[in-house]
Amino acid sequence: MECPGSKTMVLDKNDSGNESTGSIKSQLSQWPIQLHLISPTAPYYQGADVLLTADCVAYALGGFHQDYLKGKSIAIACPKLDEGQDVYIEKITSWIDDAKINTLTVMIMQVPCCMGLQQVAMQALKKSTRKIPVKLTVVGLKGDILSEEWITV
Amino acid sequence: MEQYLNMGIKDVISRFPAAGDLLNRFNIGCVPCTVGTCLLKDIVDIHSLSVEDEKELFTGLGEIIHPGEKIVPPKIERKQAAKSGGNTYSPPVKSLVDEHKLIKRLVALIPAIADRADPSTADGFQVISDSVGFIRSYADKFHHAKEEDILFKYFDEGTDIIKVMHEDHANARGHVKAVLEGLEKKDKAITSYNLKKYGEILTEHIKKEDEVLYPWMDRNLTTREVGEMFSKFIAIDNDFADEAKKYEAMIQTLEKNFKNQGD
Repeated sequence: MECPGSKTMVLDKNDSGNESTGSIKSQLSQWPIQLHLISPTAPYYQGADVLLTADCVAYALGGFHQDYLKGKSIAIACPKLDEGQDVYIEKITSWIDDAKINTLTVMIMQVPCCMGLQQVAMQALKKSTRKIPVKLTVVGLKGDILSEEWITV
Repeated sequence: MEQYLNMGIKDVISRFPAAGDLLNRFNIGCVPCTVGTCLLKDIVDIHSLSVEDEKELFTGLGEIIHPGEKIVPPKIERKQAAKSGGNTYSPPVKSLVDEHKLIKRLVALIPAIADRADPSTADGFQVISDSVGFIRSYADKFHHAKEEDILFKYFDEGTDIIKVMHEDHANARGHVKAVLEGLEKKDKAITSYNLKKYGEILTEHIKKEDEVLYPWMDRNLTTREVGEMFSKFIAIDNDFADEAKKYEAMIQTLEKNFKNQGD
């Protein structure tokens, strides 16, 4: 059976959907963004609402910048392909304990391998001395929000 | 139909009593509400009705308000679409729901305590005094203060649904004050009556908060506000941790003595 994370699919697009005209302003307010490259104690993480998203999320979700990135700091990662994910746990723990982030929103795709990013976040939350609210948002392959809920350790 | 959307729900029910029965069918308890100034159009948002239920409710209201006419149900604008994944409370709001559980354990004992505890006896006096101590400290100073000083401040406190909650708190405090007066006079009729009234108010109040107010608030709180509130609540919880343990043990003792008594 083919892995749902890499199964070839053509997604039908309905042309009657909402389409914005003109350029859409980026809501990105930092660099770098890849989780291996960021410093967890960078100024833009201090007390921030942080978005940890799987790499594919921003491509699948049409309104990502306006609806999810706006007002938040971000890091991206791929739980299936990235190596050294124990470093990810350390960095997320540092966000919570050192940068004292306000909240963490984990955004993943619906494919099973993406759940790994939630596991990484939860391991970091267990390791950290502070506790913060963590929200999990699951994005469908067609760019729809399948679920959005607060999770507990 | 449109003209009634901006009318207070109590006015709508008083003009069209069948509307109250219809709202009850959707678990919208506006009929016994003591304030009831929410606008008809706000009901959909506050009670997070599904699109199907909204259509059915307004079709039914149309038939009650304009019998015999074909009414197209109005489309109500919502502040935010209902999220998928059901009603999960945000962590700070969840902590308030969890505190309700301990309060409800005392409330469940109130009928037995009110009937059996006589303030003219040393034991009865102590039980009522302990119960009032829990109500004033845990339920009011700790829990209700979190709501009034923190949670409600994120909203317009002139909103009808919050006014109702403040009114419930005030009424409950009035009955607690009366219990203390009864205790001082060692008058069982006063302590018994007011304890029961307190229990009735809190039972309805907690149900309204868990099922209507908190889900509505969670739908309107930003992620930043949820995080801020969580930090503030943790600081209060840490300060109150020892007392919370003491009250948990006290409720267990009361349950041993009063649970299922008189059944």
